[in-house]
Amino acid sequence: MSLAPSPGPFPELTQTQVVAALQDLVEPARVLHSRADRAPYESDALTAFRAQPYAVVLANDPDEVVRLVRWCHATGVPFLARGSGTSLSGGSMPRDKGVVLALNRLNRILEIRPEDGLCRVEPGVINLRVSQAAQPYGLYYAPDPSSQPICTIGGNVAFNSGGAHCLKYGMTSNHVLGLKYVTPTGVVETAGRNSLEGLGPDLTGLFVGSEGRFGVALEITLRLLPLVPAYKTVLAAYASLTAAGEAVAQVVASGLLPGAMEIMDRLSIQAAEASVQAGYPQAAAILIVELEGEEEQVASDFAALRRLLQASGAHEIRAAQSEAERAQIWKGRKSAFSAVGRLSPDYIVQDGVVPRSRLGEALTRIEALSRQYDIRVANVFHAGDGNLHPLILFDGRAEGALHRAEELAGEILRMCIDMGGSITGEHGVGMEKRAYLPAMYQGRDLQFMYDLCFAMDPRGVANRGKMLVDEQWPPPALQARDDSAPAAYGAACQARVAALRAAVAAGSAWRIVGGGSKTRRAADDPIPALSATELTGILDYDPQEFTITALAGTPVQALQAALEEQGQYLPFCPPSQAGATLGGTLACGLSGEGRLRFGGARDFVLGVRFIDGQGRLIYSGGQVVKNAAGFDAPKLLVGSLGSLALMVEITLKVFPQAPAYGTLQCRFRDMEAACRQMHRIRTGPAEVVSLSLNPEDGEYALYVRLAGSPELLPQRLARLADFVAAPTHCALDDAHLWRALDEWSRLDAAGIWRVPIAPALMLPLERSLRDLPYARRYGMGGHLLWLRGEASPALDATLARFQLGGLGLRDVPAPSLRGVYPMTRFLARVKQVLDPDGKFASPLPYPAPDTP
Amino acid sequence: MKHAIDLTQGPAQIEDMADAVSNCVHCGFCLPACPTYQVQGEELDSPRGRIFLMKESLEGAVPVAEVMPYIDRCLGCMACVTACPSGVEYGALLAPFRALGERSARPRDRWRAVRRQAALRILPYPRRLQAALALARWTRPLHAWAPTGLQPLLQLVPDAPRPALRARTDGRAPAAPAARVALLPGCAQSVLAPGITQAATRVLQAHGIDVAFPASTVCCGALDMHAGESDRARSLAWDLCAALPSDVEAVLTSAAGCGSGIQEYPLLFKGQAQAARAQKVAARTQDVAVYLSRWPDKVPFALATPLRVAYHDACHLQHAQGVTTEPRALLQAVEGLELIELPDAGFCCGSAGIYNIDQPETARVLGQRKAQAALDARADVLVTGNVGCLFQIQAHLRRLGSALPVRHTMQLLASALPDAEDR
Repeated sequence: MSLAPSPGPFPELTQTQVVAALQDLVEPARVLHSRADRAPYESDALTAFRAQPYAVVLANDPDEVVRLVRWCHATGVPFLARGSGTSLSGGSMPRDKGVVLALNRLNRILEIRPEDGLCRVEPGVINLRVSQAAQPYGLYYAPDPSSQPICTIGGNVAFNSGGAHCLKYGMTSNHVLGLKYVTPTGVVETAGRNSLEGLGPDLTGLFVGSEGRFGVALEITLRLLPLVPAYKTVLAAYASLTAAGEAVAQVVASGLLPGAMEIMDRLSIQAAEASVQAGYPQAAAILIVELEGEEEQVASDFAALRRLLQASGAHEIRAAQSEAERAQIWKGRKSAFSAVGRLSPDYIVQDGVVPRSRLGEALTRIEALSRQYDIRVANVFHAGDGNLHPLILFDGRAEGALHRAEELAGEILRMCIDMGGSITGEHGVGMEKRAYLPAMYQGRDLQFMYDLCFAMDPRGVANRGKMLVDEQWPPPALQARDDSAPAAYGAACQARVAALRAAVAAGSAWRIVGGGSKTRRAADDPIPALSATELTGILDYDPQEFTITALAGTPVQALQAALEEQGQYLPFCPPSQAGATLGGTLACGLSGEGRLRFGGARDFVLGVRFIDGQGRLIYSGGQVVKNAAGFDAPKLLVGSLGSLALMVEITLKVFPQAPAYGTLQCRFRDMEAACRQMHRIRTGPAEVVSLSLNPEDGEYALYVRLAGSPELLPQRLARLADFVAAPTHCALDDAHLWRALDEWSRLDAAGIWRVPIAPALMLPLERSLRDLPYARRYGMGGHLLWLRGEASPALDATLARFQLGGLGLRDVPAPSLRGVYPMTRFLARVKQVLDPDGKFASPLPYPAPDTP
Repeated sequence: MKHAIDLTQGPAQIEDMADAVSNCVHCGFCLPACPTYQVQGEELDSPRGRIFLMKESLEGAVPVAEVMPYIDRCLGCMACVTACPSGVEYGALLAPFRALGERSARPRDRWRAVRRQAALRILPYPRRLQAALALARWTRPLHAWAPTGLQPLLQLVPDAPRPALRARTDGRAPAAPAARVALLPGCAQSVLAPGITQAATRVLQAHGIDVAFPASTVCCGALDMHAGESDRARSLAWDLCAALPSDVEAVLTSAAGCGSGIQEYPLLFKGQAQAARAQKVAARTQDVAVYLSRWPDKVPFALATPLRVAYHDACHLQHAQGVTTEPRALLQAVEGLELIELPDAGFCCGSAGIYNIDQPETARVLGQRKAQAALDARADVLVTGNVGCLFQIQAHLRRLGSALPVRHTMQLLASALPDAEDR
């Protein structure tokens, strides 16, 4: 590794020295050091692991955290940033002789911006408090881990926490828009901004889920969603776990998209009942399905669901009749882990993921293992995601019991990997599963993680020991395995990948291009183009799994056609002009108007295989809908503009297509009224999937799109029309409208500029822009401004004034990136790992390698 | 949670203590329910942290004296027990551990020790309390010069002198009683707010229930028990057991702390010769509101003027005894009464036995929050089922400049009886 000096050796400090030094940095009373004061910080919710830190510092403000991190970096004393200590993977246990930074006092909600649908919080803020604070504005924070009344946002960010509603809304990562962080070397920077959309590589996506190894988040910008108008929470009882598992498959196949689908087995039902009296039926398994949306849509979905559940053999079906009943159902489910404490003094919670269609098989195998080991296993899991949570019950005081429980846990993890799943869906690798990470990622893939980690933290101080086995620092080089392209590529594509890798390794500079639909090669560009467009084809598509894997050169249109055949689609609705490839779309970070409801390209990319700047073929991510193992490099590559790697294979999450759409068009005389109504509609009575505001013929046209059952759309649109104080027009057959909007943003004009903005900026921006020669469109509910026109000093001035950045598509003159866009030391280090020789040219001005 | 507690040593309750540790899975679900965690925000001031500390101490890894400051800060409100999904009996760990702590040599701030002993040696003894109050009132002009360490105690002295009132049945005993119960007048309550027992008596009698009282007003021992003074607690408790009439079908308490204290007798007397009898008393004891809510023949309660009533859950009722719906049901049955809920109803008001005397800072924050919540709810009356809460919230309301009346549930019901004088 060329970029950092050797990290040590450091003289080992004694506890007295550490405490004295820390007491110089913060008020001495807040440095806890007696045995009693430190003891409660020795472990998190996984008490099988514990360690004794030298000191616990109760940090009072972010500046202190920065000072402490810098001191740790300078002395080589490892630190753990800790919130409420609810990690189930040992992720928030300290390190022997290290320091705990307790961040509970950094618990301010710094701002709530209802108009922008976001809030900014400190890391010690409790998850549930965010929703409580947002509620008066008609908003809530979607990720809901079971520990949400106590877990902190900082911890959620570090471990990319999940919860019951991930199937529809994704994990924590999908709801983090921006960060202010301090790196392990003590540099304070920001990533992301006050917009759903971003520019450049998605560092926020890489940071979330890094298990504390990339530093400490000091401020977190979270996305808030409009409150759900109506819920229907349904309990179905089954005579076997397998039957409940099969019911999940049938619900998924039907095209319904419930907010949550959970299964509990007899043991966990018993425990939950004893604990909170949730009123669950006594059964071998219960399935909890939660539908959400507008009242009549939910009622119609419930009728369909009831038929499905009846046909699937449920012997009892019950729906919550009140909010209190709904709360009780969820309380039982969310208390289940802890309630199992009533059945057994100790247990290990597993968190493996299997493809949803193999749920039944996985459960049968777990049952067999449980019998074989003579150890009780309780099951409670996120069935919609195939995310299992077997609870392995044991008595820690019995000789060898922990060891046997761990052995059983290991077998379950290996089974998940064998089935093509993941060792962790949402709890993270932590201490507990790090020995299994090499079974999921090998050779170069794992080496890449070590390299990233070392580049960010050359002295190994930030949450050392978590995710990666790293007793040696710097980590020794791993044995490289055969890293040629998988056989599924076919001989021709394998050869093509090999040729691309050879070209990268041999060449000095490359410009990665796709189908040329977004940028065109200037005739006089001296840098040769490198393209993956010949790598086409869908490698794997199982509609049941909601995943599709394709080679990066596959045209977006081909992908969409394949999905459409199965009634599915890419929920982020990428622009799909002829020539657009999957790789190019992701590299440019392009999402379409579906982004508002379910998320953007970054939120739907699950796994990527890529060629780095040294010609190495690396895989990152997974092929199941939920995976929290390892660093989330696939997100990093979204928007990277070909500057970091050449993508060759991409796995995406997909959704069932809605049965029908309808659009309400509203016209406004002035922009102010249009913006006001747009915000009202966002948090109004309708479940909006897309929202776009277009200046048209001296007026402002607002397009509001709803999705759902065709017979219900007219009345839903009519209700929305009543709600909007403006002339409106309803369109039921609306595909052409949205196609036109999509095409608007890629007409063969002199230039198209994509400018991520916060919705609150629409009005001031419009005032500055309306006299300039640019056609404008405010898409994705006001988070993305599209400008059509040539680059000009006036454009640059406007971007600068609003502190915005714009990416030019089509034939814009260099530089295609204008205004303010991110370039951080974090990003520079990532570039150093992926492309140390700077072979991949891009509009992003990476600085020369820095020294730590 | 795994532990290495030696079950062959330690107090008689060691197995119950170890069970509580063993049942804890360290999940942290108790943290948001814990008032001191809400105020202090640190793991050490959370139930999970305290359980871990007590475990370490019982295992011999940490000296008891180092652990005690955090144990002292616990209100003993048992909100964590209500919140705990794994069924940890926190009280079964806390009370015996406090007793261990008191037996060990431990440094304590001088004035804190004075306040604590003053409270424990005066409050449970009606005559001493009356004398102390008289003295305190007589010297009131001098209070400003008293040491700051004594102020938390002096601030609790009520303004008006209290009449010495012996619990009596008021001559309204039902002619043909349907049942006979013993009603505890409560030691401190009989001096500070004798009207509560009077009101409870009248309400019971109006239901056709004959009310008897213990032969003498003795403390049930709860204050000492919850403060870790287990020997004195046992001696008081035993006196009470002896003073109770035997021909009653139930022993009723109108102070939440007494009710939960008596129900803890089995733990207190564990391994003692008197265990069986104490257990019987415990099994017969319940809160007066619970008894009344189960009484088959309803009395038509009605208020002369309609009232918005906010009900405050005493911790020793809602968390320690699991009593939340019964008093509400009684109140809701009163004509002209609108029952409103306070936010954070699960939170302690800071009274907690002698907590407001021992740990005045945290108690003040909690008391103020509760008083403010009652004001924000724009209630006409605040009602609660415990004399300690009543005085604590009243004091903080007055400090906020509010004259909002605070009454015991039984007082409110008595005022809505068909023959109520102030109806």
